[in-house]
Amino acid sequence: MTALSVRGLSHAYGGVPVLTSVDLDVEPGQVVAVVGPSGAGKTTLFRCLTRLVRADAGALEVHGRDLQQLEGAALRDARRDLGLVFQSYNLVRRLTALQNVLVGRLADVPTWRVVLRRFPAHEQALAASCLDQVGLLRFAHTRADRLSGGQQQRVAIARVLASRARVVLADEPVASLDPASAGAVLAALRSLATSHGKAVVCSLHQVDLVAGFADRVVGLRDGRVVLDVPAARFTPDVARDLYTPELERTPAR
Amino acid sequence: MTDLQERSGVGLVPVPPRPAQPLRTRVSRWLLSLIAVAGFVGCLRLADVDPIELAQGLPTMAGWLVQAFPPSTEALDTLLLRAAETVAIAVVGTTFAVILALPLCVLAARNTTPSGWVRLPVRLFLNGLRGVDAFVFALLFVAAVGLGPFAGVLGIALHTWGSMGKLFSESIEALPNGPLEAAELTGAGKVKTASFTLLPDVLPSISGIGLYLMEFNIRASTVLGVVGAGGIGQELKNAVDLLAFPRLATILLVILVMVTLVDQLSARLRKRLA
Ligand SMILES: Nc1ncnc2c1ncn2[C@@H]1O[C@H](COP(=O)(O)OP(=O)(O)OP(=O)(O)O)[C@@H](O)[C@H]1O
Ligand SMILES: [Mg+2]
Repeated sequence: MTALSVRGLSHAYGGVPVLTSVDLDVEPGQVVAVVGPSGAGKTTLFRCLTRLVRADAGALEVHGRDLQQLEGAALRDARRDLGLVFQSYNLVRRLTALQNVLVGRLADVPTWRVVLRRFPAHEQALAASCLDQVGLLRFAHTRADRLSGGQQQRVAIARVLASRARVVLADEPVASLDPASAGAVLAALRSLATSHGKAVVCSLHQVDLVAGFADRVVGLRDGRVVLDVPAARFTPDVARDLYTPELERTPAR
Repeated sequence: MTDLQERSGVGLVPVPPRPAQPLRTRVSRWLLSLIAVAGFVGCLRLADVDPIELAQGLPTMAGWLVQAFPPSTEALDTLLLRAAETVAIAVVGTTFAVILALPLCVLAARNTTPSGWVRLPVRLFLNGLRGVDAFVFALLFVAAVGLGPFAGVLGIALHTWGSMGKLFSESIEALPNGPLEAAELTGAGKVKTASFTLLPDVLPSISGIGLYLMEFNIRASTVLGVVGAGGIGQELKNAVDLLAFPRLATILLVILVMVTLVDQLSARLRKRLA
């Protein structure tokens, strides 16, 4: 079954259209890179996909469940199948790496245990193995604000992994990282798809990183999907064309 | 060419002249100043401010000061017990307020409770509590539960509940939104998110607020006894009623020492938290 299916998604902020009729299908185990110039609507797309923002129109299905119409407890439950990795990591700074990964388990742990911070042993073990998979087990008891940016981003990925979400979204997860950390983070995201069969949608600004990472590339410009090709066909020429402003583009010959 | 120009290689540009202020702005400024001065004069009248009366009263007060020496040491142990009672009222009252304020502050903060249907009534309630002074609450509770420190505890707790709830909710609103959104997306409910991801981030600021209010309440508790709500204020009122100036001097000294000690302690603790 298609992991994520988006049909005709449109959204406007204060009357200004930001997304216009976006269609997107992602299969389990597939990595899709979303590229496009600044202001194209990538972040808005992710916010609509997670229902942090409710899109004005369109259909949104996650593993066959219609997310667009849900509210309250039903929405909370459906969101458990979605994970989002933010550009700014969004860890709780004063919790340890392990505790931050446990945040991904909150929905499944009884409230009293969360309040008293008494997580069952198997939950802690699960969180530890998620940290291990992103190569950070030895930082388990380090506070998040003592970790480097790349390490924090990998903790955020471990948090999504722990949540068992089958659809993982990542909004410019490597934008503020050096090349080595960026490589480690993208590899961790890639392995979510390869080893865990998750559907991964990730926006990127570094088009040169796309080739070794994604299976498919979706190009957004001015809120519209203008490109949807296998990664192999995302050549430097295609990339340059996508990032060239409308006015400077030469008409098709 | 100036030195700066040479060094920076940038041509200097004259600062453009300020636009002239329109007549209307200047006139309205004058009017506003006039109104402010007139208002203050009116307040002076209403407050019966009379320097002559102050001057006439000064010798009497100087006489009291002379009579107050040496301060009396009679029944010092009762005084110290009353001072301890004052601290106890503030400590218990503030602690109750913390317990009451923690759940409500989450409901009063815009980022954790976007719905106005819940947030605005909660805010109104907290503002109502904050608007009534602990002293006034204590006055009511003395009538309801009888004389004694418990009435003081209730007064302090209720008023502080309001102030604390408001201050706590403001520190929640100052938090970055990202970690909250991340927790929300895991599908966990409000109680779990607030206790596990919100609390650690606001803990430093809310413990600072708690300590500050505790310190404030110890000062506020010194007068609760005047309305019969326990603590050293009761002794203070007795001494004034009997014009027992040496005793009054001792009481004021005890209060001064107590408040200074508490201020120092609280300042140290808060420095540690920061
Ligand atoms: N909360 C908002 N209110 C109003 N307008 C917004 C809001 N968020 C985004 N926009 C507008 O929507 C458009 C798309 O923004 P978005 O953040 O989705 O772009 P993006 O593709 O993520 O850009 P970048 O690569 O710079 O992150 C922009 O023109 C932006 O100004
Ligand atoms: Mg963006």
